[in-house]
Amino acid sequence: MKPFGLALRMLWRDSRSGELSILFLALLIAVTSSTAIALFSDRLERTMTDQTAEFLAADMVISSHATIPEPWLEKAAQLNLAQAQTAEFSSVLIEHDELLLAGIKAVSADYPLRGFLKTTTSDYSTETIEHQGPEPGFAWVEKRVLSALKLNIGDPLTVGEKKLVVSKIITYEPDKQGDIYSLSPRVMINKQDLQETGVIQPGSHVHYFFQFSGEQSQLTEFKRWVKPQLNLAQRIMDIHEDRPELGSALNRAKRYLGLSSIVVIIISGVAIAMATRRYTERHLDATAILRCLGCKQSDVLWLFVSQFLILGLMTSALGCGLGWVVQEMLFELLRNLLPQTIANSGVLAVFFGMMTGMTVLIGFALPPLLRLKRVSPARVLRRDLEPLPSSAWLVYGLAFGIVGVLIWRYTEDLNMTATIFCAGLVLLLVLGLLVYLLLILARRSLPFMSLNLRFGLQGLLRNSRATVSQILAFTITLVAMALSFTVRTDLIENWHKQLPEHAANHFALNIFPEQLPSLQKEFKEQGIEGSQFFPVIRGRLTEINGVPVQKIVSKDSQGESATHRELSLTWTENLPEDNKVIIGNWWTPEKKGEVSVEQKLADSLKIRLGDQLLFIVGGQQLTATVSSIRSLQWDTMKPNFYMIFSPGSLESFPGTFLTSFYLPDNKKTVLNQLVKQYPAMTILEVDLILKQFKTILTQLTEAINYLLYFALMAGFTVLFSAIYSTLDNRIYESALLRTFGANRSLLRLTHIIEFTLLGLVSGVLAVVISEGLLYALYSKALTMDYRPTYYLWIALPLIGAFSVGLAGCWGVRHVVNIPPLRVLRDT
Amino acid sequence: MQTPFSRNIIVTENLGKSVKTSGGTLHILSDISLQVASGESIAIAGESGSGKSTLISLLAGLDTPTIGSINLNGKSLTSMDEDGRAAMRNQLVGFVFQSFQLLQGLTALENVMLPLELRGDKKAKDAAIGLLQRVGLSERLTHTPRQLSGGEQQRVALARAFVSKPAVLFADEPTGNLDSKTGAKIIDLLFELNQENNTTLILVTHDQTLANRCQRIIKLAAGRMV
Repeated sequence: MKPFGLALRMLWRDSRSGELSILFLALLIAVTSSTAIALFSDRLERTMTDQTAEFLAADMVISSHATIPEPWLEKAAQLNLAQAQTAEFSSVLIEHDELLLAGIKAVSADYPLRGFLKTTTSDYSTETIEHQGPEPGFAWVEKRVLSALKLNIGDPLTVGEKKLVVSKIITYEPDKQGDIYSLSPRVMINKQDLQETGVIQPGSHVHYFFQFSGEQSQLTEFKRWVKPQLNLAQRIMDIHEDRPELGSALNRAKRYLGLSSIVVIIISGVAIAMATRRYTERHLDATAILRCLGCKQSDVLWLFVSQFLILGLMTSALGCGLGWVVQEMLFELLRNLLPQTIANSGVLAVFFGMMTGMTVLIGFALPPLLRLKRVSPARVLRRDLEPLPSSAWLVYGLAFGIVGVLIWRYTEDLNMTATIFCAGLVLLLVLGLLVYLLLILARRSLPFMSLNLRFGLQGLLRNSRATVSQILAFTITLVAMALSFTVRTDLIENWHKQLPEHAANHFALNIFPEQLPSLQKEFKEQGIEGSQFFPVIRGRLTEINGVPVQKIVSKDSQGESATHRELSLTWTENLPEDNKVIIGNWWTPEKKGEVSVEQKLADSLKIRLGDQLLFIVGGQQLTATVSSIRSLQWDTMKPNFYMIFSPGSLESFPGTFLTSFYLPDNKKTVLNQLVKQYPAMTILEVDLILKQFKTILTQLTEAINYLLYFALMAGFTVLFSAIYSTLDNRIYESALLRTFGANRSLLRLTHIIEFTLLGLVSGVLAVVISEGLLYALYSKALTMDYRPTYYLWIALPLIGAFSVGLAGCWGVRHVVNIPPLRVLRDT
Repeated sequence: MQTPFSRNIIVTENLGKSVKTSGGTLHILSDISLQVASGESIAIAGESGSGKSTLISLLAGLDTPTIGSINLNGKSLTSMDEDGRAAMRNQLVGFVFQSFQLLQGLTALENVMLPLELRGDKKAKDAAIGLLQRVGLSERLTHTPRQLSGGEQQRVALARAFVSKPAVLFADEPTGNLDSKTGAKIIDLLFELNQENNTTLILVTHDQTLANRCQRIIKLAAGRMV
């Protein structure tokens, strides 16, 4: 026997007779969608990372207070990494008897490595994109510098001892840090001029940024090589660590994309399992004949498995091709929203699509297929000889195993995988039992029902085991679709909440206490929407319960960096917006000497409730007891604090005030007025950063919408195919009923009741499972607040009843229209 | 019983088949000892439930006995595992069934080719076409079972049974699903082919006329030879 050739021929014959269409369709959808999503999310992520890298003006930056050793730069050159350098420092500029504390930035010739600068020579309408900084001898300045120093384009500007010519106005600088402490208006010069300014002396406070860009693998290697050599004042910056608001948005989007992929794969897996079950049942007789003609058990198994493998490979290849086309179309649809250069498709994502296809096919199709191996050849004489079904452990174990591996592959989080997996398993077992009990109850109440209802219910009760598995299959499909929809809605809502229409786009700091009343009045008169004014007192945390903090923290931790610099301390009576006390209680006004610590810092410094913290503030010691631990959202553009003291604790120390506020573009001139009126106050403009952030979120939202439509489409297609694969018995039984004299309307009504009930019960169960899984997902995977989605409680049962009812009735429609004998002969 | 033929191709001793049911052990076949000579034709007759189909499935190696032994072509079927029996079926045995048992997705030609394909025979197609011509279906090669009448389907089944030139042909009520006229034609064809190929024929039937065309009749009642 030459099994492979025979398998090929049998596959061809089966496909010709339409036996494989549902299987083919389900597998094609699984591979197409997983490839499309894998390719799309991979490209989108790389595009976004490239774009967000603009915020650093490079892929990776080493920040340092001194120049870094030459061998580091040599190593980067060896790894073919492009390099640029910037040096930032504050300097007082004097022109036309006006003084201005400016933020000077000296940039090397290759700056910026990623992104671009925007400049203008007159107004904002004629912006020019620049891929390099100013030439030696020239300075580019922010517009506020011109007005503050009474300068015009072409005027000389002296920085330290170096006389430069103001040639352009900077309107956009990619790596302008959202950091509150690098605030002054920008003056950008060429690095070659830096020496001649004479500003940099030993001991000067200069911040150097060494920027690198190149291949991801080379960057990773460089990062690994350089990290152990960093000293305390040096730090590696990348997008996830240094722009947390973007990092978390990207991470969530990535997880959502992964989730969509799992959703489609699970839906398709269910359809594959159902289609294979049908395939197996329809091949029992053929297998018996083959066995009769001398096929060994292993031959039979090989014959069918190899057919499935060939089908899997061909379908996966086709699915990968289609997936590629689909993601190209998605990018085309999003063309206007995306950056001009989109990262190329990764070959790995295509390979992953192939792997997914084969894995899903084996995981979901193999267990039902194994049943064919056990077909007795004596079945040719006695059709009642049914092979035993494959062990439930094998059937569900393999499918669950595959789903578990997929969830883990996307989340890369073992804990979360285990949580979702166990929750899903327990829910399924409990619900399976519940459906079984419901069916028993229904059986008992049959005698009290009308004929139509009884016939409809009997359709479900005849083979309760099959009904339970069908209900669970439809439930899983509906759950998957509901999850995809709800998470997407909440994700987008959450982003909008994070950045509402009038999110603060400016920070004002260094406001002296005596200026506060007049500034508040000014804000009110100008109609500026502002947040609370927080007092800021600079202080350093030195001891926790009498133990120096340096002995407590581990190297490179968040806690370590917090102990090396002064922290901004504040006090307030009420818990600030977006802050949440997670351990302990917020104070009542009369309690003095208490402090509330931010959760991550508390974890890093091992701070517990009741600990005594010692701070050095302006040379004096200050002790406070930890009365609460807070979580807060760093990704909102609002002032956030690691340490908040109770009222009465900090008032005796000198400090300034800080606030954030929203200023629309057309009111920008107010800034100059404010700066003039309050010269010591520093205004930090983050509106450009915000705009960029909003654009990215809009792009992600659009992408996610398209993915949802895709998942829903796949879900419905597969749901319909899955119902079709359960129709054989029903069609046969309906034809029998017709031969006994059942009229069309009775049959139609029976079908409607049967399928609608099937969908309705699946819908109700889907609600319970989705809520459980959403809770697990939100609290573990997406770190979002969980709240019950009440509309699902109505929508899912309705969608289930309607879609399963419609697909079922459509599938059996011809039974009521054609002569029953034909159906019986064909079945 | 001794036959005038030279060699016994099937020998059974004290063959029995029983199944356990909730009401105790049910004996379907008991104490069947028989010898079938090569080239002989035998009819197994009896009423419904007498154990005819069980006996044929044991003799063909489709099922295993609870007790006793079966020798097919000098080899003990009872000591073989399922794969060994499958190999024996492939090399020695042909089948014709009451319900034709054609693969619905395959054409007439493909159905007939199947036993040879399973052997890896490269001339499967030619041999199958030859036999289909012999049974009068040369115009129906590409038709699927659904497009054929009952008589035509059984002719395809006959072609499939003889294409591998089996030593023994088992026929289970081959005319049971056909009208008497068509049935008679099929039986004529069956005996013609049997003679041409010198095949041993084991025929299960409850039709006395048909049984009489065989050289020997074995009667079963309540699972025993009578």
